[in-house]
Amino acid sequence: MKSSSASHALRSNPVILSTVAVGSALLLSSCSVANSEQAEGDGAAASDTIRVVLSQEPPTLEACEANLTSTGVVVRSNVTQPLVERNPTTGDLEPLLATEWEATSDTEWTFKLRDDVTFHDGTPLTAEAAAFTIDRAVNSDLGCNVEGYVFGDDDLVVEAVDDTTLTVTTATPDPILPLRLSFVEIVPTSTSTSEKVREPIGTGPYAIEQWDAGQRITLAAYEDFWGDAPAYSKAEYQWRSEGTVRAAMITSGEADVAMGIGPDDGVGDLGVSYPNNETIALRLTGDIAPLDDIRVREAINYAIDKETIVGSLYEGTDKVAAQLVPAGIVGHDEDLEPWPFDLDRAKELVAEAKADGVPVDTKITLVVRSAQFPKVTELSQVLQEQLSQAGLNVELKTVETSQHLQYQLRPFVTNEGPIALLVQHGNQAGDAAFTVEQYMLSTGAQSTFGTPEFDALIADAGLTEGEDRQAAYEEVFGYQNEHVVQFATIAHQTGIIGKSANVDYEPNSSSGDELRLSEMTPAN
Amino acid sequence: MLVYLRKRIISSLLPLVVVVVGVFALARLTGNPASLYLPLNATDQMRADFTARQGLDQPLLVQMADYFGGVLRLDFGESLRTGEPAAAMALRAFPATLQLAATTMVIAIVAAVLVGCWAALKPNGIADRISSFVSMAAASIPDFWLAIVGIWIFAITLGWLPTSGVSGGEAWILPIATLMLRPFGVLVQIVRGAMVSALSEPYIKLARSKGASDARVVSHHALRNAAAPALTVAGDLTVGLVNGAVVVETIFGWPGIGKLMIDSILQRDFAVLQAAVLITAIAIFVLNILIDLGYALLDARVRPTVKA
Repeated sequence: MKSSSASHALRSNPVILSTVAVGSALLLSSCSVANSEQAEGDGAAASDTIRVVLSQEPPTLEACEANLTSTGVVVRSNVTQPLVERNPTTGDLEPLLATEWEATSDTEWTFKLRDDVTFHDGTPLTAEAAAFTIDRAVNSDLGCNVEGYVFGDDDLVVEAVDDTTLTVTTATPDPILPLRLSFVEIVPTSTSTSEKVREPIGTGPYAIEQWDAGQRITLAAYEDFWGDAPAYSKAEYQWRSEGTVRAAMITSGEADVAMGIGPDDGVGDLGVSYPNNETIALRLTGDIAPLDDIRVREAINYAIDKETIVGSLYEGTDKVAAQLVPAGIVGHDEDLEPWPFDLDRAKELVAEAKADGVPVDTKITLVVRSAQFPKVTELSQVLQEQLSQAGLNVELKTVETSQHLQYQLRPFVTNEGPIALLVQHGNQAGDAAFTVEQYMLSTGAQSTFGTPEFDALIADAGLTEGEDRQAAYEEVFGYQNEHVVQFATIAHQTGIIGKSANVDYEPNSSSGDELRLSEMTPAN
Repeated sequence: MLVYLRKRIISSLLPLVVVVVGVFALARLTGNPASLYLPLNATDQMRADFTARQGLDQPLLVQMADYFGGVLRLDFGESLRTGEPAAAMALRAFPATLQLAATTMVIAIVAAVLVGCWAALKPNGIADRISSFVSMAAASIPDFWLAIVGIWIFAITLGWLPTSGVSGGEAWILPIATLMLRPFGVLVQIVRGAMVSALSEPYIKLARSKGASDARVVSHHALRNAAAPALTVAGDLTVGLVNGAVVVETIFGWPGIGKLMIDSILQRDFAVLQAAVLITAIAIFVLNILIDLGYALLDARVRPTVKA
């Protein structure tokens, strides 16, 4: 210290000194930081603002990543819009920015666009903008998530025939191209093609007003929106990673809508449950003994008491599942019976397999991802116990997301013997093709095995349309349960959102992926 | 003083480099983040493209050379998750943690000194017993539980405070109360112990015999000698908080460095993790120098070496 008098003053009062030395220097170095928003205040949000609390901050609001749940829940249908959208209840495609569309040849689709739509920057929506968007999302080197999610490696040829007519040509016939395009959110031609854009301009009812990183995102209603003006003129998103805190924000009146509430988070009567399109199942490595014996895989199906799991762990809101997709998805077979709980039969099958020399004592690793969904820990313990009851040797292994993906995706973890992987599958797209090609084709990215006959069945189903498509995928799910048995499906899940009494909103199966603010209205 | 600073800076560079290199290497041992960032049905070609785009197909040493080359130009890379510059994300999160930690420690220290001194005046008296019970409890309650109970009582049941968030002064109360309890509990014990032994020293008896009041004896004679051990422990506790009050940040939605680090680890967002670790390491280094200076001011025996 240079000043001896200051040093003396400090020395004579050690209480102040220690406080100053450890704390105040830090305070000084960091003034004016996190509380720039003090003026607004949470409680001050007026009733013209809808306040939503998410489970995490969106990593970006880039429109070509809107198929990611954490991004899409804010962006889709609020800020940006696609040409066509899927009605989550009926499963039908409905017009949005496009008024009509038709297949003009095996590989070409033609879309007619609305002529009364403007982007938030005032520029009109044209076929050129739509073509630009598709090109940017699917054909560019940006590495857009939606490209891999719905389109794979093949490029699309897009052409703006005139201001309101767009043609899209695929390399091979694709009967569900319009459904795929329902994931492409249209942005104006001024959008960067060399990098992703964190705050996109769209055609939706709301424009992004401000993003205070780490704290909140606010949207403001777009005055020149082409459709009906939304009931709330503003929307405010915050995020809390703890479900109990999100629930508390609802019960204390700090938020109007809270996403991803668990049954034990304490939201009480303000929780609204809805089918969230997620299905949970065990995926079995059918190429490694003893799981390479179909009797052992059947035994696992018989050994799981799904009714009890659904009834006691999930309070009866989930539904026992017979297949990997829930009702509402094209290909779901309403009449397919879930495997009954039959422990004796399971034991018999294991005994039979054992008698034939199958090493049923081999340790099977039950791999689960921590915090993947509510009560996953309890569920995994129940599963371990029930499989053990059937006479199998099961060890539980809990991993985090990144590790779980190494089990879930090719190339799989292969040096840990037979694995029963607890998977949670959500088919957001509404068509069984998105499930089956992934999970059941013998070369599928998330499928451990298959058979040539099953592969052929799946390939044929992919080319069908309409009622034939429904029937073809029903057959696929039946065939898997009877002849392949890679999966022991457990339950179709239910999501819960917290909703304050001030808001009217009916969640549906897509609410978790796109939360439509325009469907929310003040309660009377 | 300057010589001392220079010595400290030079001797701290090595640990800084070791920390950053260690984090760099360890993070990459956890595997390629491609599957986290690509859709589940990504093709091999897309995986290869992603890996090449992120430079993860290069040998580790080449990646490291690239990274440190960037760091020397103050380019810390971009976040895989958000596409933002990693340094910007770390610099945005760090002050939020620093504010929280500093405020918490100032309050904890002041409160602990007051309670500790009060308890030490009459060892085994009623005040001592109460403070000992309270501080033991404070030091042992898990912060996760405390935070949730705090929210339940003060936000839900009583409605006095917001559940979480950072807007408005009221939002600071629960996080700070949760965070300060443990440092407070630990420090009360330290201050009390040091004060009890200081108050039994001959110079205190001398001061009292000269007719000094209790308050003067405590504040001018005993506390100064008891402050050194308290400072050591307070310094350690502060380092812990600056390192990221992960649990409190997570529960209260506080956009701090601890939450950022955890998210970056789970999301394999290497550049952000490294930037966050580096800034934290530098802060802890600065903090340690401040603590040393604090020592020097407190204890004449340490001072000359510092002035040298």
